[in-house]
Amino acid sequence: MWVIYFFCSNQLIFMSPAAIERPMLESACSKSSDESRRSFANLRGVQWRTDLGILPPLSSSTIDDLRKVTADSRRRYACLRRHLLVDPHLPKDGSNSPNLAIDNPLSQNPDSTWGRFFRNAELEKTVDQDLSRLYPEHGNYFQSTGCQGMLRRILLLWCLRHPEYGYRQGMHELLAPLLYVLHVDVERLSEVRKEYEDHFTDKFDGLSFQENDLRYNFDFKKYLDSMEDEIGSHGNATKVRSLDELDPEIQTIVLLSDAYGAEGELGIVLSEKFMEHDAYCMFDALMNGAHGAVAMADFFSPSPVGGSHSGLPPVIEASAALYHLLSVVDSSLHSHLVELGVEPQYFALRWLRVLFGREFSLENLLLIWDEIFAADKNKLEKGAGDDTGSTFGIFSSPQGALISAFAVSMILYLRSSLLSTENATICLQRLLKFPENIDLRKLIGKAKSLQALALGPSISSSSPRCGGAYNHSKSMVVRSHTLPSDSISPKTPLNMVPDSYWEEKWRVLHKAAEQRNGSSGKQNPTPKKGWTEKVRLSLSRTASDPSPAKAGCGNDHKPSVRRRLLEDLSQELGLDEDTEKAGCDEVSGQKDHICKVVEVENQDGVNNDFTCVAEERCLSGIAGSEENSSLFSDPSSPLSGANNHENDSEKSSVASNSSIDETDDHPEANHEDTTLPVSHLPNNATLNSGDNNEATGKSLAVPKERKLLSGKFQWFWKFGRSNDGEETSEKGNGALDVTKSANDAGSQSSTVCSSVDGSCYSSTTGDLVDQNMMGSLRNLGHSMLEHIQVIESVFQQDRVQVGSSDNFSKNVLVGKGQVTAMTALKELRKISNLLSEM
Amino acid sequence: MVLVLAIGDLHIPHRAADLPPKFKSMLVPGKIQHIICTGNLCIKEVHDYLKSLCPDLHITHGEYDEDSRYPETKTLSIGQFKLGICHGHQVIPWGDLDSLAMLQRQLDVDILVTGHTHQFKAYKHEGGVVINPGSATGAYSSFTYDVNPSFVLMDIDGLRVVVYVYELIDGEVKVDKIDFKKTATTRSSN
Repeated sequence: MWVIYFFCSNQLIFMSPAAIERPMLESACSKSSDESRRSFANLRGVQWRTDLGILPPLSSSTIDDLRKVTADSRRRYACLRRHLLVDPHLPKDGSNSPNLAIDNPLSQNPDSTWGRFFRNAELEKTVDQDLSRLYPEHGNYFQSTGCQGMLRRILLLWCLRHPEYGYRQGMHELLAPLLYVLHVDVERLSEVRKEYEDHFTDKFDGLSFQENDLRYNFDFKKYLDSMEDEIGSHGNATKVRSLDELDPEIQTIVLLSDAYGAEGELGIVLSEKFMEHDAYCMFDALMNGAHGAVAMADFFSPSPVGGSHSGLPPVIEASAALYHLLSVVDSSLHSHLVELGVEPQYFALRWLRVLFGREFSLENLLLIWDEIFAADKNKLEKGAGDDTGSTFGIFSSPQGALISAFAVSMILYLRSSLLSTENATICLQRLLKFPENIDLRKLIGKAKSLQALALGPSISSSSPRCGGAYNHSKSMVVRSHTLPSDSISPKTPLNMVPDSYWEEKWRVLHKAAEQRNGSSGKQNPTPKKGWTEKVRLSLSRTASDPSPAKAGCGNDHKPSVRRRLLEDLSQELGLDEDTEKAGCDEVSGQKDHICKVVEVENQDGVNNDFTCVAEERCLSGIAGSEENSSLFSDPSSPLSGANNHENDSEKSSVASNSSIDETDDHPEANHEDTTLPVSHLPNNATLNSGDNNEATGKSLAVPKERKLLSGKFQWFWKFGRSNDGEETSEKGNGALDVTKSANDAGSQSSTVCSSVDGSCYSSTTGDLVDQNMMGSLRNLGHSMLEHIQVIESVFQQDRVQVGSSDNFSKNVLVGKGQVTAMTALKELRKISNLLSEM
Repeated sequence: MVLVLAIGDLHIPHRAADLPPKFKSMLVPGKIQHIICTGNLCIKEVHDYLKSLCPDLHITHGEYDEDSRYPETKTLSIGQFKLGICHGHQVIPWGDLDSLAMLQRQLDVDILVTGHTHQFKAYKHEGGVVINPGSATGAYSSFTYDVNPSFVLMDIDGLRVVVYVYELIDGEVKVDKIDFKKTATTRSSN
């Protein structure tokens, strides 16, 4: 009775992991198509060892090679273990009397045996704290003393071997699945052996790799003494088998292969005895990223790895890369998370460090790792000029791309629930408590489809990547600034709603246009989309403006140059000292302060206070001039895409600032932003032609851009020309020094320009989309009209106030500027009328 | 593997101000699992200091100890060894091996630790060990003024005990090692 019970329970224990494994393996098997994978399909441990680069691929090597490599790796581990795991009781190298002054338990010498012993013991204690809590749901395996002992030794040895990393929480969770996989393999082996013992009829013919091992096992068990390692309570499954029961033919083959020196028992690829050795080799390969694979150890490293520009820990960089990919794939979700202040490292740290081990059950995790390990590990050659590309060095291989893509697909999986909450904490909770019942295959499929995208930007063009790096590192460096800028938004709830509304509208339009463009143009809209996203990001995080130097793009001189220019300019403006200083500081320092100031002003009621208006105008003037200065500081290299991008994003943020100054109009700002990537190229062209005036550059860009449009919008043409003429005339009377009025008008007209851009763009898209979109266009026109009215009122009041001031000469200039601006406004109104008619 | 510190006869503050600094720097918390103290500390501060090295502290009463609650003898089991502690002033003649062996049989211990003579001694006797760690401060005794500060650290591992003797001679710490092995039958036969 007892015996039967014992047998049953034993059987249960042995079978359970394998039983779990079976369906999983089959599904994995069906998915993998290539020949080499299939050969190991039901031996995941061997497959992983091949993938991790410990074993050579079977296709290119014989069993003999395999055995040799296996034996070598095991020998290395055994040697390491003998060397590093010190036992003070066993005298080393035979000498029974070591120097007692050094080698005693109270020795202060850190190199003494006892010193090392105590240090190891300390490390062991730390490791044990984590190990005792490892996979409680699989406790019958992971909490067994044998398994714990193996895990502890492996971790201890790895940490001793790599003192620069030491032990960090999470390493044990990377190791445990590896050991588990080996364990499952061994279980399977014994199972097959049992089966094979019962009826070994024609099973031989279908014997693959593992049965070969089996026979190695049989043969050499008898000839070899037990090796020096004993693995805890796991003991030796008795593998006593009589040789003559085996197929003689295969037996001879085995013997033959052994004659070439196949390392005996040490070379058995699948051996219970050497599970610890194998697991260490796998763990080591995983952590150190052999053969170009992603080195998991980097995620534990507190200091930046070589080649990093941002000076941030790699795991932070990697999480930033995640968000970058997310912004490309799903910008609204990305902006939602960014707005909530959900930094990627809050959750990605855990995801990446244990390679998603915490988010999925062990069974699912094995499938995910199957994919990750199998991914191509070759690093891609980067473009010569792409310096910042190495910021994401971790993810520059297809394998790394798959990891990041998988993480992004996880975020996307939670998309709706993330978007539905406005609370950062709840967002994080949802991200950190990943649902358990998921369609893993779908998730992996999604990740694979994203993989190309994750890898794409790094190959095709460096510039969007740079922009991403710039933005992201910026957002990380000045993280403290995001709070103030965020804190503004609750102040303007009225603005927030239309903001998101218009953005949404625009996205609909954009998407429709994108769909029209078809799959061929798919590559283009996506970066563009990311672009607008980035611009938006910089808009919402204007505080981060002073940090491009910090962001690591290498333009250290820039802010100072800009500041100097600003100061010069403001001196020319001859404004009140205080406002000037404040303006300068605010512009060069923290942009969100400007926003705040403007916010406050606008809340006061558009412009009742003269000083407010003055300041506002000063700001807008400076903002306008900043456009110029950013152009001046632009090293005139038309090819440096990164720089242009950077400038543009600055420009756009500045421009949007000025428009905010004047109308506090988010929708318009957004439209303006959206046009920027479009007008970017022509803009540059004019820049390179030597024209330094930003306003004209822009207005020139507008017609150029418009050439692309259909003839239906010829009035835009007309307008653009008149606008152009306006600019030049302005230039004529305004002289080359940028006076206040010129600036004022410049900034205003640039707003006009940009709003024209916006309308152009939206009308092109409107041309493409159907009636449904017309309604939104009409709305757009209406809102534009409103904005114009606001501008107008500001302007008129402004004129009165300026007139009341004592500076007459300026007054004249201002008057002139105002006249031109008024004409511009008229034109604007015309457009809006046209739009609303449509 | 267990490290047991045997220390005694400090006579602080009457005959010595403090432990020698070299000893103090060696004795750090975290390494030692048990402390056996034969007595004559003599004040509570020393008791507290020893407690800070290791919370598992076993003290017997010396004739100069303020704290009269310490027992005259004490026995404890560490690993497979049974240890007995006694200050030793009760055992006459003082430091006599035969008398100590009598106490050892009386207490039925494998290792007997005594003090009082301020001289390090270690004997193997009848399958057991008799150890005197000496005075940790080098305090003078009623026998002699020429005392080297010393204490003993026992590394008990299975059936084996390694005794490390730490002695301060001319300002230098000298370490000696004595190996004892207990036969497995000793205890079962008793």
